[in-house]
Amino acid sequence: MVANSRSSCAARPAGRVNDPRPALVEARFDGTPCRVDREQVALVREEWRVVDRWWTEEPVDRRYFDVVLESGRNAVVFRDEERGRWFSQRA
Amino acid sequence: MRLGEALATCPSLVLVEQDPARAEQAWEGVLRRLEDAGFAVEPAEPGCVYFETRGVERLYGGLRKALERALAAVGPRLDARVGAAERRFAALAAASVARAGQALVVSDERRSEFLGPLPLDLLPLERERAGELRELGVRKLGELARLPGDAVAERLGPTGHRAWSLAGGGAAASPKGRRPPAEIAEAIEFPEAIDNELTIRRALTALVDTILARPERADRFVRKLAVTAKLVGGGSWRRTATLRDPTAERDRLRAALGPKLTELPAPVTALGLELVELTASRGHQLELVRTEGAQLGERLHEGLRQVRAATGTGSVCTVVEVAPWSRIPEARALLVPRDE
Repeated sequence: MVANSRSSCAARPAGRVNDPRPALVEARFDGTPCRVDREQVALVREEWRVVDRWWTEEPVDRRYFDVVLESGRNAVVFRDEERGRWFSQRA
Repeated sequence: MRLGEALATCPSLVLVEQDPARAEQAWEGVLRRLEDAGFAVEPAEPGCVYFETRGVERLYGGLRKALERALAAVGPRLDARVGAAERRFAALAAASVARAGQALVVSDERRSEFLGPLPLDLLPLERERAGELRELGVRKLGELARLPGDAVAERLGPTGHRAWSLAGGGAAASPKGRRPPAEIAEAIEFPEAIDNELTIRRALTALVDTILARPERADRFVRKLAVTAKLVGGGSWRRTATLRDPTAERDRLRAALGPKLTELPAPVTALGLELVELTASRGHQLELVRTEGAQLGERLHEGLRQVRAATGTGSVCTVVEVAPWSRIPEARALLVPRDE
């Protein structure tokens, strides 16, 4: 019999970099965040929207906010409109 | 017929010893040729293989053309025949009754009509069970399929019930493409289908780096290598390149494979690289003056080797930028394991 030459075959899944992480966000009535991870938002620096892959089974519909927290820390959070949840991510 | 009778009938008869290894090698060649043509093959046994055509039908201009391409890939020497149907057993039955070189397509509407008059021998039934059915007057697949399933299960047990299920066409399970064997292979599975050439080229660069660092290569040089891909429709794609001079230089390997990537027929969900043939040595010119930065590179590699030795394989990764223009931050780069 022919020896199984597949033993040395290695399929490695490539990992994602900068995956979104669930965040604890409280939002105002207009959807802008007022508290991120139990810390007050001092300033919303920028807001933008990403709508993509709407033609696939995994559409992306996100509302991003670049905020400055009371401690001076910067954070980027987004609301996933598809899942109705908040996430933080390095933009 | 007994051997003596056969020799008496035909004195020029030549006896050929069984050669399972050669047969398996020949079968592997057939599978490879089918894979080269873009079919994801699921071999059932030597001489019988299931494959999905959906992924390549658009490439070849329809089901018929795809089947003809499959027959051409097998070659004329083996008298291949092919059957196509929505269900696996119906496809096998179609291939069993097709003439050599013929592609028989059975539509789902005509499945029962097609299977009905076929003999029970096509079913994977034990001899006793088949005999029992014949004693009951059941000789055709259609006659078996018309019986109540529960009654068949009670009388003939699980194998009988499975045969009854197959007589009706069987399950509609898609063939699962095998992973083609190779001496040394590396693959990257993408989180989503990629059709951007630049992205695929970057993935290939990462693969070349990783595969050259595999310890199994043992400083051998690459004579022949292949780039493979899983297509988004479920098919596969494979191209080989044979190098005039064996080499282990990443730039030469990339240059040999790069042009092949333009032939990809569809977006890919995984990209693979195989070192198909390796050679132990080659005549090469030694360098008189070391290139700038070589010492730094060696130190870096040694440092990484020590980290890997301490933390295990796969612990050292490279960030490969695949789509820096993407609006979705996590789609811009991938983390690829790096062993060297």
